[in-house]
Order: sequence, then C-alpha cells, then structure tokens
Amino acid sequence: MMINQLALVRREIWEHRSIWITPAAVATVVTFLAIAMVIMVAAFGEAVNPDIEKIADATVPDSVRRAALAGILLVNTFVFLMAMWFLIVFYCLDALYAERKDRSILFWRSLPITDAETVVSKLLTAFFAIPIATMAAVVVSHLLNLIIMSVWLATAGANPLRFIWSAAPLFDTWAAAFIVLLAVPIWLAPLLGWFLFISAWAKRGPLLRAVLPIAILPILEYIIFKSWNLGGAILARLRLETMPIFDILGFASRFDDDDLHSMMAENISMVSLLDIRAFLTSAEVWAGLLVCGLFCTAAIYVRRYRDDS
Amino acid sequence: MTSLVTASNVSKRYGDIRAVDNVSFEIEKGKIMGLFGPNGAGKTTLLKAVLGLTDCEGQLSVLGLDPFKQRKALMKNICFIADVAVLPRWIKVSQLLEFMEWTHPNFSRQRAEDLLSRTKVRKDAKVRELSKGMVTQLHLSIITAIDAKLLVLDEPTLGLDIIFRKEFYGNLLSDYFDGERTILITTHQVEEIENLMTDIMFINDGRILLDSSMETLPATYIELTTSGADADTARRLGPIYERDVFGKKVMSFEGVDRERLEGLGEAHTPSVADLFVAKVKGAAA
Repeated sequence: MMINQLALVRREIWEHRSIWITPAAVATVVTFLAIAMVIMVAAFGEAVNPDIEKIADATVPDSVRRAALAGILLVNTFVFLMAMWFLIVFYCLDALYAERKDRSILFWRSLPITDAETVVSKLLTAFFAIPIATMAAVVVSHLLNLIIMSVWLATAGANPLRFIWSAAPLFDTWAAAFIVLLAVPIWLAPLLGWFLFISAWAKRGPLLRAVLPIAILPILEYIIFKSWNLGGAILARLRLETMPIFDILGFASRFDDDDLHSMMAENISMVSLLDIRAFLTSAEVWAGLLVCGLFCTAAIYVRRYRDDS
Repeated sequence: MTSLVTASNVSKRYGDIRAVDNVSFEIEKGKIMGLFGPNGAGKTTLLKAVLGLTDCEGQLSVLGLDPFKQRKALMKNICFIADVAVLPRWIKVSQLLEFMEWTHPNFSRQRAEDLLSRTKVRKDAKVRELSKGMVTQLHLSIITAIDAKLLVLDEPTLGLDIIFRKEFYGNLLSDYFDGERTILITTHQVEEIENLMTDIMFINDGRILLDSSMETLPATYIELTTSGADADTARRLGPIYERDVFGKKVMSFEGVDRERLEGLGEAHTPSVADLFVAKVKGAAA
C-alpha cells in the first residue's frame, strides 16, 4: 500500500512535469527580477526599493534590517504561492482526464492497483508533492536572492555576512512559508475534490465543465433567492487571505494596512503570526475536507464503474 | 484439468442491448483459447467482464475470484494487452520498468530487461519516440516478465505490419507460453493464430456459437466442395451454410459422418475463418 502510493506519486511527478517546471520557472523569473532590482537600486537609489537601502544602511537597527529582509523574502514567496494555486487547480483538472484522453487508463487498470489507490495518489500529489516541490524552489530562490544582494553589498564595500546572512530570518521565513504552502491545498480542498471529480467524469473540456457550475449556480441563487451565500462561499475559498491561518494578522480585512506591516516587521517570528490552531480547528476547513472526500469518492466510483475504454 | 475461468449464465446489458447474453463456458489451465466474433458481437465486453473492468449478471469466476469485486487480487495473476496503443506516451522505458517493479509483486525486472535487450527499444527512450511495433515489443516484454497465470489479449496486433505480427506470436509462444500459463486471445486476423490455438470459441450477438477444442474440430466440422446432382444429395444432409465458389457449391456440415460426404465431392476440414463465416451466417439464416 505504502510502496504503491510512493510509486504512484512518483508517476504523477514524471507525467505532470509542470509540478517542478512551474516552480523552477517562477524561481528563474524571480531571480532575474532580483538582479534587475539590485541594478536599479544601484543606479537610481532608494526610491526604487527602500527595503534594500535599509539593509545596507549601517545606522538602522538590526530589527528594521531584519524586517526589511523578511519583507523581500515574503514578496518573493507570495509569487510562488500564486503560481502554486494555479498549478494545483490545473493539475487536479488534468489528473484523471489525461489517462483517459491517451487511453493509458487501460494499461494502468491492468495492474494490481485499485481505483481508490489511484485517486488517493492524485490527492497526495496535490496536497504534498506540489507544496514540497514549490517549497524547494522557494528555498533555492531565497538563497539566490540573498546571494545577489550579497554581491551587490560586497561591491559597495559592505559586509554581506553582517548585513544579510546573519540578519535574514531565513529558517523562520521558510517554516512559515512551508506551513502556508501546505495549508493552501487543504483550504482549497472542496474545489480540488470537485476538479478531480470533473477530471474523472468529463468526456471532454474539463476546464469548462468545472468552471461553469461554479460560475452559474451562484448567479442562479442570486436571481431566484436574491441571496449570495454560494457565491460568497466560493469567492472566500478562492481568496487565500481568508484562510483561518491568517486570523491573527486579519489579512482579509487589512491587507494594505500599515499597522499590519509594522506588526510583521516588529515580530520576532513569522511562524508565530500564523494561527495554526485556528486553522486546524476551523469548521470551514473540516467541512471543506468532507466535501473533498465526497467528490473524491464520486471520482473513484466513476473511474471504477464507467466503461469508457 | 483445472478451470481458470468459469462462466455460468453470464449476461451484460447496456440499456436494452444485451452485449453478452446468458453465456456459459470454461477455460482450462494451459490452454490457448481464441475468441472470435464480428464487430459488436460482445467479445470485448466478455473480456472486460473476465478482467473485472465491468460488472455483469450471472456467475463468473476467474482464478477462483470474483473479477469485479476482487480486481486487485486478480490483477496480480492476470495480464492483459487491451490494445497496442495504451502504454502512456510520456513515460520513459526505464521509468515504466521501475514503476512495474514497485507496484507488481510478480514482475521480474531482470527478465523484462533481458527480453528488451533483444529488441531495438532503448531504455532511455520515451514511449512516444518508439514505433508502433516497438511499443508492442515493449508491452509484450513487460507482460512476459510478469509471472501471471492468465494472459488476456484483445486485438494485440492491430495496426502492426506482418513482420511484427509474426514476431509477436513467435515471442508469445517461445517466451510466455510454457504449458502452465493460459492465454485468452481475440483477433480479426484468425489465420495468424490458427496454428497456435488449442481451443476456440465463436461469439455473435452476445451468444456463444461454438466452443470447442481444436483437436475435435475435424471430427465435427467438414467442408464439402461439390456440384450438380451431388450437391442436391449433400444439401439433403443439412449443411449449416452454403456458398458458391467458381461455379461449385461449398457446403459446411456439422456432425455429419465424413464417410457419407466423401463420395459426394471433395471433403476437407474447414479453416477457422471459413468455419467462422459458416457459423455466423448459418446462425443468421
């Protein structure tokens, strides 16, 4: 069972090369942007990016330097987070559709692997393999970003060891980033379950068939009942800042708030700003997982009973 | 003899259509059973039922298991090639071997690599880079490297050229078949497997028209080429099917003494293809 799952998840990574190509591409783009940023700061001064100037300023307190570095790393992480959102959604839409499109389902089903094991391996890929691949790219990207800034500081005569490597809260940022990357698919679980079901069920065009009901049902609810419950619930799921893990920060209501930024800057640990407890005890999270489970059961049923070979 | 497959009153309906209609048969260990039928006869549905890919009514037991309910256990001891084109096109040969090694308890990677080393299939190639013939070689090598009791082949050589087809059946006999293993095969190219089958089954409109061993066929079925008054005499013996060939009458008989026919013209054992046409058309008449 365990070995089967490992083999199946490896198969997903072989088949869906976007699982590692997407984070690698984002890391490449982010690295080039970091190089461009440093060059622009060198050329035009701190107006381009005040954070970078603060890092090199020997007069600013360590806590401010630390917050500036954390800010740079967080913006960087945010790009990966968005990319992962798209990656997971499109992966789930393709996961059980591709094998039917190329008819390889007939080969996979000739092996001693159950339909349930197959669907579970797709879930494990979405919930763990993709966040882990994304995290690896985040770590590489952060290190490259800091190396680029180090080179810039060194050429300016400053000591990168002091200004960057002993100041940047790397491990804390990484721990926080990894927790959020793992939380995203759990938060998106009901949608991912729905997409997996559609990818098992749709004869063609899974994207359209997955998106249309999500778009039309809330509109129907609005027209018929004059209410916006379903639409509100779906939109809240799609916006990651509403995740209960951000309850302490209150991201959802104060995204552009200066207080929020100073709070993040002053705080010693970014992990402590994540409300893991609220996330794990949230009724919304568990209800979402339940919905995901129901859709996945339906996907297993469709793969097992439908005769489309 | 031990029965590997036992079907008793098996039916499968799609809406109002009975794809398989109350079928009963047995396949014994060590046999090579050829299953023939026109398009839409129910062959593939029957194979799917045997493989547990679709459920059915009636009693069906494969290796002592219920194929639909115990599919995972069954698949440890059954292999099938449903079509030559079903290996995933994105996978590398080495990845495929690795995946099989991880997931199939009866797969021998060493044996698969030995078999592949006799072909032009490179281990670092992706399936999409291989020719259709090479994909079939790859698939057969993998299947042969599984220590399975039953091999099911559904049109395994469709779309292959004659060289690959001959080689496929040659390899099947020399590498896979050892007298202990059992093969169930369907194909339209009847002539190519006529000499390797031990048993034969015809199916049409979901029903079995013929279920026989190849050994007993000559004693039961005779084809007579005749003309003129002899033809009229022969016709009174009740041929199951009659056709015209170059002005002569060719009649197929079932269960008629060869001695009674030999005086009426040229009597011989029909080819499987001719017998197939006689049974299908005869049943329709």
